[in-house]
Amino acid sequence: MSERSDVLTTTATATTSRVSARESRTPRGELPRGGGDGRRSRSRGSRAGQGAVILVLGAIAVVALFPYLFMFMTSFKTNQQFNESYWMPTWPLRLENYSAAWQQIQPYFITSILVAFASIIGTVALASVAGFLFARYEFVGRRVLYGMVVMLMMVPPVASLIPMFVLMRDLGLLNSMTVLILPHIASSVVLATILMRTFVGQIPQELFDAARIDGASGPRMFRSLVLPLSLPVIGTVSLLTVINVWNDFFWPLLVITEDKLRTIPVGLAFFKGQNATEWGPLFAGYTLASLPLLLLFTFLSKYFLAGVQGGLPGTGK
Amino acid sequence: MASPVAERNAPAPTPQTKGEARRRRRFPWFVYLGLLPLFALLGLLAYYPAASGVYHSFFDWRPGFDSPFVGLDNYRTMFADDLWWDSFKNLGYIFLVSVTVMWFFPLLAAELVISLKSERLQFVFRTVLIFPLAFPGVVTVLVWSFIFDPNDGMLNQALRGIGLDALAHNWVGDPATALPSLLVIGFPWVASLPFLVFLTALQNIPKEVYEAASLDGCGRLRRVLSIDLPLMAAQMKLLFFLATISVLQFGFAAYLVTGGGPDNATQVPVLRMISIAFEGSDWGYAATLSSTLFAITALLSGALTLIRRKENPDVRAL
Repeated sequence: MSERSDVLTTTATATTSRVSARESRTPRGELPRGGGDGRRSRSRGSRAGQGAVILVLGAIAVVALFPYLFMFMTSFKTNQQFNESYWMPTWPLRLENYSAAWQQIQPYFITSILVAFASIIGTVALASVAGFLFARYEFVGRRVLYGMVVMLMMVPPVASLIPMFVLMRDLGLLNSMTVLILPHIASSVVLATILMRTFVGQIPQELFDAARIDGASGPRMFRSLVLPLSLPVIGTVSLLTVINVWNDFFWPLLVITEDKLRTIPVGLAFFKGQNATEWGPLFAGYTLASLPLLLLFTFLSKYFLAGVQGGLPGTGK
Repeated sequence: MASPVAERNAPAPTPQTKGEARRRRRFPWFVYLGLLPLFALLGLLAYYPAASGVYHSFFDWRPGFDSPFVGLDNYRTMFADDLWWDSFKNLGYIFLVSVTVMWFFPLLAAELVISLKSERLQFVFRTVLIFPLAFPGVVTVLVWSFIFDPNDGMLNQALRGIGLDALAHNWVGDPATALPSLLVIGFPWVASLPFLVFLTALQNIPKEVYEAASLDGCGRLRRVLSIDLPLMAAQMKLLFFLATISVLQFGFAAYLVTGGGPDNATQVPVLRMISIAFEGSDWGYAATLSSTLFAITALLSGALTLIRRKENPDVRAL
């Protein structure tokens, strides 16, 4: 919630009270719907209305969240407990499901985290330099080069899956970390460059002028001015990259056959095949795999939502 | 989409007046050097694969061996490939559902959230409703594939529990119900981009408009139809195009839950392309299919960009 919206609502409330004050001053009968009685009954009706709204929203939320709750609940059960009490939680909680699941998905976790980390570093390094240059320097070909980056926003990665696979095979990179990391950088860096350029373009010119008077060179301005100021964009970009790594499915499925190098999405699909109907450990694994994104969502929901909507924190509210 | 905002706000750092110095500045070697790594990467992993895909669609592509030129043969095969076109029929169905039913619930939820008087409750419900978005897509799909499980699945258990045994069946194994089942994944679809877009749009409608309407005796439903929907037309248009593009990429849920089966009932272009390349090893034909998908998406995104240029800039294709 931005401050702006608060301001908006406050003014709106002020307007409402002004309107109602005027309404109550009006003699009865002049405004057929604005009479004192009508207003009181309306507010009683609206309280019931509010209750109904909350009820319906609550129902929607329960329906939407129930599958995940069920997963969480079942993750503590043995198959016997699962069969005996399908819908209800049971005791004792079988925490060993989690250790069993962790054993199996731990390598996927490590791979995913390494891939996400390397992709973030690569993306931020390339995009922040390029964003700075595009925003603050004048050079021949600036528009064309920037246009070439923007154009890539239109190309979904799945469309170049086949030629990309052949390229990686020709380079002998299948079954390596590189084959997981590089395409992630190449796809994240596009939006990241656009966001960085927009952001750096909005930094007041006075800051750059002052830095120049103090004798700062281009690289120095980048390091001491642009980078610290663009932390919100870097945050969004990093989060977006993590989300991508945790959701990208077909690419790691096709280029990785070595179990240790599987990322979470593909690893989980494989893990499911391994635990066919061992629901407890299976759901414990799903829960563990979701944890990193859930934590990020809980603590950084502003950036998270900005990432989902492809903008900067605050713009999407 | 080159946004003019940044350009206007950001003149070159040193407004050199001397003509000579200025001319030198226009080819600053260090700028090109700084951009080199970015374009090297994009060249290798974005421009080259796209070009190579289109190029090799005219060949009987056998990576590692010699690949004879076959002209338009692959495209002819594509036009005769019933499975490929049937998979587009499935896409059409998916698209229809995703811009109607899959928008209804998010719209309903957004309208309800905006009707809440308490700011705090609005925030709580918004957060709770989008919470499922925080789960990795794979987890959501796998949990739903459990819901559809014929024996232990939640859906059949619930049906048996209330005595409707007759209705319980193998939801994703029956060609008649497989595709609808896939689309039900994530029900009620509120944790989604449409919800966030609707909610933001509704929050941005000035309160005065609603007050004026309610003074005129405009009811809640009337308000949705006559005020909210028309005022959201721009966002709707945008979501509509985003939906076309994301539907074209539909595939990973189908791969995990049904694998395109049963009897190709859930076959989609992406799966068809992958199976031709990796099971049929017909790389030239796969490149043709991939270039076709590429062209369709590029066309749609081009149209989207034209629309977006005028409107809401902070939503992008997912």
